Amino acid sequence: MDWLEDELRRALARQDAPVGFAERVLARGRREPHGARRWLAAAAMVVVAAGAAGAWRQHQGYEAKREMMLALRLAAAPMHRIQLEVKDITQ
Amino acid sequence: MLNVVVEIGCDFTELLRQHQAMVFSIALHFLRDRATAEEVAQEVFFSLHRNLHQIETPLHAAAWLRKVAVQRAIDEGRRRSRKPQLALEDVAEPAAAAVKPSDPLLSELLRKLIATLPEAPRMVMVLRYQEDLDPSEIAAALEMPVATVKSHLQRSLVLLRGKLARRGIGESGWTG
Amino acid sequence: MKTLLIACLAALPVLAAPQQFQLNLDSVAAKSSQHVDVSLNSATLQFAAKFLDADNPDESRVRKLIEGIEGIYVRHYNFKSAGVWTQADLEPIRAQLHGPEWSKIVGSTNAEDGGSTEVWLHLAGNKSIGMAIVATDPKEVTVVNIAGNIDLETLAKLGGHFGVPKVKDPKKEHKED
Repeated sequence: MDWLEDELRRALARQDAPVGFAERVLARGRREPHGARRWLAAAAMVVVAAGAAGAWRQHQGYEAKREMMLALRLAAAPMHRIQLEVKDITQ
Repeated sequence: MLNVVVEIGCDFTELLRQHQAMVFSIALHFLRDRATAEEVAQEVFFSLHRNLHQIETPLHAAAWLRKVAVQRAIDEGRRRSRKPQLALEDVAEPAAAAVKPSDPLLSELLRKLIATLPEAPRMVMVLRYQEDLDPSEIAAALEMPVATVKSHLQRSLVLLRGKLARRGIGESGWTG
Repeated sequence: MKTLLIACLAALPVLAAPQQFQLNLDSVAAKSSQHVDVSLNSATLQFAAKFLDADNPDESRVRKLIEGIEGIYVRHYNFKSAGVWTQADLEPIRAQLHGPEWSKIVGSTNAEDGGSTEVWLHLAGNKSIGMAIVATDPKEVTVVNIAGNIDLETLAKLGGHFGVPKVKDPKKEHKED
């Protein structure tokens, strides 16, 4: 292996985050307003408790959207790579 | 009928534990300031916390975190760019002690030299040598052509070799 | 291999899924460390589209993108190391794509990372009625079938920054300094 690249890997090796970093992030996260994930979980609980068909359907809808976005993301990634390669060749 | 089978494991605490070193190190090696790097890293995980519902798999989370860390580090670098930059030529030579391969002094010198590179090649070098990404992965992370990534890598290595050689540091010329 | 059955939306009408070829990848699945398996028919896509956020640029593009789509079928596999899957595992897929109704429009290989991508169009006469993507690298296999009409360029654009804040092109920003 090239000596400089070897040294660069050594110099740029990952360093541990400062002590207590994770705790500080988690503490800050607890202070934040409810995010969409907690909204979805709360919505599911209300549905189970109240048996409201409308809220359940909405939960299903967000789940379906999530899966659709996942599928499109997986399909889009290789297409994007090709696009970058074409851009690379034509430059 | 919707039929989905997806791997489990997008717990925030677990993602934080797994990737805090990566995120912090990207910011640290790009910005060269521990306090600022921690602020940036906190913002990245805070952003993950807000957007966790968009994260589909642990692999997606890692790529997402890397990309956001890169973006935030670059943004922070631009905010600070009004302050005088240390030019490559001004980087002090290592202390009188001889520099040898695998020497912490050499590592520190390399980190300083990389910090003086312009923004794009600097981040390319961090992603290549910290994260071991190949050029096409770096191109995807930075949304630049692969040829540009390769050019940044090549030029940066030539520049660094030259700077080190002038200090008598190299494969055939370790000082001391 | 960790898998979890997430949802079975029995409330939605069950329609025959117009999958255009058999995604028979059991041998790949058996060797994978993680896998994603998504099958969405037209009814589910239309239902999901109602929950797209019109103020989100990516989701607006998705809404337009899926207008002509009748189904999306994705199989995605990750492997712990290179050399676990072989080209022979993909033969059941490729054999179907070599049929007369399929036409390969892109074949790209990357010697550096060992990755490859093939894009095929499903034709009825001169009209495209679907597409297939077979994308691989040493530790990943993705096979996609999209039935219906899809704008490939819009799909490719989504791949760059899907769900992730867009990274500004450092080159363009640098010019402004």
